[in-house]
Parts: sequence; C-alpha cells; structure tokens
Amino acid sequence: MNMSKNAGHQLQASLMSCLVYSWGIGFVISIALMSLVLISTNANAETHNETVLDKVISLSDIQSGQLVFRTEKGYFLAGPKLNTEVDVEVNGVLARVTVSQTFSNPTSQWQEGIYVFPLPDTAAVDHLRMKIGERIIEGDIKARKEAKKIYQQAKEEGKQASLIEQQRPNMFATSVANIAPNDSITVVIEYQQRVTLDANEFSLRFPMTITPRYIPRTSIANTEEISHFNGSGWAVNTDQVDDASHITPPVLAAESDISNRINISIMLSAGFDLDEVKSSYHQVEDVAVNSSTRKIRLVDDVPANRDFELVWSARNKQAPQAALFKQHKNNEDYAMLMLTPPNKLNIEGISRELVFIVDTSGSMDGTSMKQAKSALHYGLTQLRPQDSFNIIRFSDDVDSLFRQAKSASRHNLDTASDYVNWLHADGGTEMAPALEMALQAEHVTEGIRQVVFLTDGSVGNEDELFSIIEQDLGASRLFTVGIGSAPNSHFMNRAALFGRGSHSYIGSEDEVRQKMQTLFTKLSHPVLTDITLELDGDIVEVWPKIVPDLYLGEPLILTLKATTLPDDIVISGVYGNRVWKKKVTLQGGGQSEAVSVLWARRKISSLMDDYRRAAVDDEDLIKVDIVTVALAHHLVTKFTSLVAVDKTPVRPASEKLDSQAVAVNPPAGSVMTQFPQTATSATLQFIFGFILLLASLLLRWRQA
Amino acid sequence: MKRRTAHIVSVLLLSVSVVLFLNGGYIHAKAQLAQWLIATAWSQSTTNNVQAKPWPWADTWPVARLEVPKYKVDQYVLAGSTGESLAFGPGHIFFSAAPTEQGNTIIAAHRDTHFEFLQNVQKGDVIIIHNAKGKRRNYHVQDMTIVDKEDVTWLENNAYSHQLTLVTCYPFNAIQIGGRQRYVVRAVSQDDISV
Repeated sequence: MNMSKNAGHQLQASLMSCLVYSWGIGFVISIALMSLVLISTNANAETHNETVLDKVISLSDIQSGQLVFRTEKGYFLAGPKLNTEVDVEVNGVLARVTVSQTFSNPTSQWQEGIYVFPLPDTAAVDHLRMKIGERIIEGDIKARKEAKKIYQQAKEEGKQASLIEQQRPNMFATSVANIAPNDSITVVIEYQQRVTLDANEFSLRFPMTITPRYIPRTSIANTEEISHFNGSGWAVNTDQVDDASHITPPVLAAESDISNRINISIMLSAGFDLDEVKSSYHQVEDVAVNSSTRKIRLVDDVPANRDFELVWSARNKQAPQAALFKQHKNNEDYAMLMLTPPNKLNIEGISRELVFIVDTSGSMDGTSMKQAKSALHYGLTQLRPQDSFNIIRFSDDVDSLFRQAKSASRHNLDTASDYVNWLHADGGTEMAPALEMALQAEHVTEGIRQVVFLTDGSVGNEDELFSIIEQDLGASRLFTVGIGSAPNSHFMNRAALFGRGSHSYIGSEDEVRQKMQTLFTKLSHPVLTDITLELDGDIVEVWPKIVPDLYLGEPLILTLKATTLPDDIVISGVYGNRVWKKKVTLQGGGQSEAVSVLWARRKISSLMDDYRRAAVDDEDLIKVDIVTVALAHHLVTKFTSLVAVDKTPVRPASEKLDSQAVAVNPPAGSVMTQFPQTATSATLQFIFGFILLLASLLLRWRQA
Repeated sequence: MKRRTAHIVSVLLLSVSVVLFLNGGYIHAKAQLAQWLIATAWSQSTTNNVQAKPWPWADTWPVARLEVPKYKVDQYVLAGSTGESLAFGPGHIFFSAAPTEQGNTIIAAHRDTHFEFLQNVQKGDVIIIHNAKGKRRNYHVQDMTIVDKEDVTWLENNAYSHQLTLVTCYPFNAIQIGGRQRYVVRAVSQDDISV
C-alpha cells in the first residue's frame, strides 16, 4: 500500500520532470528557430522593398491616365509627364472628339512609352494618326493579335510605331515604340460619342479618372406622337414639364504626383437656342458664335485628375424631346433615334414589391454580415406604406420572413427588423433554392417586382444560377449587392445582367448608406419596362436587341440599319401597370457621318455581352462577328486594334530600346488586405514528436 | 521501482511522440487523400456541369485542375482560400479572375503540402490550368518573388492579360507557422495579346 503510494508519487514526480525537461528542450529549440526565421524575414524584407519601389507592378494600379515605360523585365516604370490636347465638336447629340497625346522622352535612351487612359464607356475609337515632325502616318484597323505583331516587329526593326488597344470598354492603351532620346512623338486618336441627355440638361464628359457614378435625374415630358424632325436632327418641340433635378456630388480623385497636363477646347453646335453653358468642375472661357453655337476652352492646362464635364440647356427649357440622325453608307441606311420616355406617371401612387435575399452562409461571418444587416435595415426604411416586401435568407437551407410578401406596415416592418437582427452567418452556400423562392413566388402586386440580392457571391455553380435567373425572371428584376472585402463580382455582374437589373458593391460599413441610397433612388424610379419595337421594312437590324428598362432620366436610344428604312417605328412598353405606346416617324432628321459608327459600336457592345455569357464553344463564333463589324467600321474593340508604322527605321541596331525610372507611382490599395496563411503545423509536430522520441529512447538506454 | 517509473515515462513519451507524428502525418495524409475525393467530385462537375462537393459537409468544391508536368504535379484547386479549404487542396482566391479567364488568377496553397514544389519552379516552366468547362490554358513562369504578406499589390486583378499567380508561405523549410513572407510565382499565358 505504502509502496504503491510511494511509487505513485515517484512516478508523478519523474513524469513531471521528464515533461518539463522535454518541453524545455522543445521550447529552447523553437525559440532558436523562431529567431532564425525572424532574422531571415528582416533580411528579405529589406531587399524586397528596394525592388518593389521603383516600378508600377500592373497597369491596373493606374487610377488616371499615366505614361509608363516598359522594361525588359516585364514591369513598368512611371514615365514623365505627357501632354494631352482634346478637341471636341458637338453637333446636336453627336460629338466627335480628337485627342492628341504627346509622348516626350527626356532621357538619353530610346524609349517605348505606354499610356493607359480612360475614355467614355460609349466611345467608338475609329482613327489613329502618328505625327513625326511634319509627317503624318495613318493607322490601320487589324485583328488585335495581328496589330500587336505588326507593332512588335516594327519595334524590333527600330521603326517608329504606335498601337491603340482597348483594355476595358472604358480603358484604352496607346503604345509608342522607339521614341528618340530627347525627342517626342504625337499620337492623335479620334472617337465618336453621344451627348448625354438628362431631363432638360445635355452633358458631355471627358473622363480623366476611373470612378463610375450614377446620377438619377428627372425626365422631360411626353407627347403621344412625334411627327416631324427638322434638318438639324431635332424633333419639333412640344410642351415640357419642368422638374427639379437631384444630382449627386461629383467624386474627386486623389491628387496624384504624376500630373499629366491636359487642355480641352469645344465647338458646341446645339441645334437649338442655348441658355446656359457651364463646366462642372473646371474654369472655362466661353465665346458665343451665334444663339445656338458656342466656343469653349479651358482657361489653363489642368492636371488630368478630375473628369471634365460640360452641361448645357435650351433657352426657356424648350429642348426637344427626341432626335433623329441618319446616314447613307455603302447602299445601306443607318439611323439613330433618341427619345425621352413619359414622366407624367405619378410614381408615388404605384405599389411595388421588394424582395430581399440575404446570404447567411459561413463565408459572410464577421464584418460582411454586419454590412448586410445595415444594408437591410436601410432598405426597410426606404419602403412606402403601399409597398409590399419579404426577406429570404439562405445558407445550406432557406427560409423567409413571411410566407409571401406582406405590406410595409409599421407592424410588419418591426417584425422584419427583429428578423434581421436575429440573422447570423453559418453553414454552406446553397443559392439556387433562395433564387427560385424569390423569383417563382406569386406576385402580390400588379406593379413592379424588384429582388435585391445581398451576398459575397462565393459560389461555384454560376451557370446553373444564371439559367435559373433567365428562366424564372418574368416581370421581376434582379439587383445584386456585393458585400465583404473580396466578393465575387464577376458572378454578381453577370447575375444582374441576366436579371435585367444592376450590380453595386459595398466595400466597407461606411459605404453602406451611400451605396444603398444610390441603389434605392434608382429602384424607386423605374419609368418604362418591357420595351418592344414594331418595325416594317426590309431587313432592319436594330441595336440594342433587348431594350433595357429605363429609369428616371434615362433616354431611349435606338440605332438601326436597313436597306431602306421604314416610314415609322412603334415603341411600346409598360409603366407601372399601364401600357405606353408611341409612334415615331423615321422621315427627315439630320445627316451625320457618325451614325454608322455609333450603330456599329452599339452592336459590338451587345455582342460583347453575349460573348461574356457564351459557352466556350460559342465564344469564337461571337468573336468572329465582333471582329467583322469592327473591321468594317474601323473600330477599336477588345479584339481589334489600330496600328500605325513608319516605314523608315530610325533607331540604329546598335542602340538598345531601354528605359529609365523617372518617377514613382505608389500602387493603389486593393480589396484584399493580406495573403492567406499558407503553412501547416505538420513540421512543428514532427519535430516535437522527434524530440519526445529521442527523450524516450534516452531514458530506456540509461536504464539498460 | 525507479526502473519501472522510468519505463512508464519512456512509454508515455513514446506514445506522445507517436500522437504528434500521427497528427503531423494526418495533415499530410488529409492533403493527399482529399485530392482523391475531390477528383471524383471534379469528374462529376465536369460531366454533369453541376457544382459537386467532394464530401457532403464541405463548404468548398473543385474549380480547376492544376498541372505542372515537369514536377509531376496534378492537383485539384478548390474554391476559396480559407484555412478549411487549404487543408485539402490549393485554393482559388474568389475575387481573382476565374481559372483560364482573362485577368489575374490567384491560387494559394500550403508550402509544406500542395505547393512544396514551388521552391523548385524556374522561369519558363509550364503550368497548365483546366477549368470545369474543360477549357485549358498554358502559362509560362515569368518570375518568382518573395513579398510581405501585406503587399497585396501582387493580388491586383490585372485585367489586361491572362496571368496566373501562385502563392505560398516563405521560407519553405521554416518550422514556425504564421511568418510574414510569401513566395509569389507569376506566370503569363503565351496567347496573351495585350501590352
């Protein structure tokens, strides 16, 4: 008894000492290793800082237009200043813009310069010219790969060449090869663009930064028939309803160290008596040529860090509500029709149904869930008594606040608020049942039905979800809201496209209010939905094929091509629960060389939407279509580029095409704040296992 | 008596060491075995065009197949880069470009399991990515860089090219986990057509 008790004590004591002993060794070793790791970390961190600082890692870091020099190592160096001259000719609702970019090389080496810059979303770039001294070299339109090859070859042969490529629909890049030391090359780009019409205001924007914004405004009046267009393209005027407009304040770009200078001059021929012409963010000189024509230019060169916007309106707000432009080219007729939808509709009286879907899967845990909750709470405050609503939540199961949408009464809103507070993130992401529930549910109103979908979009069965949306959409519209630090915006953009709605993204909790406000202003002002066209006449090709819903302030823009245009077109749609129908003549109107280009640009952007949605097998077919249209109309697209090459080589083969750091551009922030953790504790466990094994063997050996 | 105690202690030490070995081994075994299960889910995903989960309670699914013939690497890439999914395979970072698509596709994995081979990767090596639709793209290794874990400029979505970025912890043989450094391998598709 005593013996065993003693033995027990001894056993305990020796076990303790052994454990302390072995953990001690382990601890010492791990401390030693850790300090080794720390030392090596510091050493590496220093070398890393040196290499990263003088380069622009990726062209997507660039927030406003910036010139960079390419290096042989694959990264870019921030280049010196580049001067831009912009010349705009406005004719009614059409604008022709000429952009001259002068690439100067202050270094003593031959340089290749690349300039990435924004243009309006709808810009149709159709001309490139390269000016070397007195000579002008015209650019040719080629398939993108071919253009690139031509450019590369010229570059290697020491010839001066330039290339313009589309990076995104609103981002372009000009490359210029073999700029001689202390010399410059000027590249001239021309594009066609539409003037924006919003309520009584016309505006033209020249982007210098890449920050999108949505400005809802009120719209102008409607008459039942437009029967005549005058020679300048405008419809003969009708009565107007004046509405107050609400404008969101402009977004200012961060001041950049690298300020490329820009100068803008505009010849504005409005086609009607002008009232006020103003520049929103820049100081301009304004000279009246006659009552409908003005000459405008920037007082000074400005840094290219803030979008330029010119706004004008008609005297006594008597702006026409429709415009028609035509062109006859290669035995075909082109037409562009711009029309403002009715706004007589008293939107306040119309009820709508709003369905929120909220993702409560495990990946939403933390700040994402918090953002989703505050977005939902905000959404609830935006409901009016005549609206009805519901909330659907899903993770690996689905449930909803009400069995079917209920009116936004005080009581129901309180219940909803409790429901939202109760939500917590856990489990998998089964999106399909939630979407089906939202889209297949019986509609409780005759009016508009909007589905607001809040998620981080972490799903893999995208195609299945797209087909659910496409099949079940009906009269509903799907608006996706991306939440969290790294949402799958690719999925959400496309879901909104299929859902005939829009996509917005909330990056932080501070943004919830502003982003949701923009979305809800849009949601509460739909004007015309389910728009269809009736046309007679031979082989008329109209773009866009599916006319998108119009929200407050947005005009309807149609582009047509036909062997012979029909006499008129009947446009019908639904507002609220009423049918709206309008007959518009296609006789008369203004003549413009720009119409075919705008038609082609519109067709290409529709085809690009198809291309993004297409299955792999169909991609190539659509690509061929896009290239065909682009080549025929001399347009720069994702698959076609303009390239200009000078025939005589200028750079001696002995001299290298080189680069030199001129300035530093710190890269912009990213949505993800750090890399994931990518090591396991396996090795650590093996080492401790090994130490304990050794200790155990040692013990046995000493006993033996 | 003392002998007996020492014996018991040595047995105990031995068994703890065995547990540790098993645990460490389990991490590696899990990494290997999960790939088998994922392979089945992958073939279901590609043939039936559905999102098949490798096991019923998984919150992830295969999105791509990664092959590096030179190092006999053939792995299934899972959706997302949370600790959970990385235990079973390389993870595709959600906001990065979809595998084989235009932009910067970023894949992360543990340095001591799936991405151990990265330490041998050299400039010019070919990495093949297949997506669930059967599309395949070859990428050529451009450069290898050691970066700080917060230097996320490397994660930016370069919309102008077909780029593949493989990320793992650095140094490869470190014992301590949670280090600040990452090893970044950048590869670019040859049929890249932009600047």
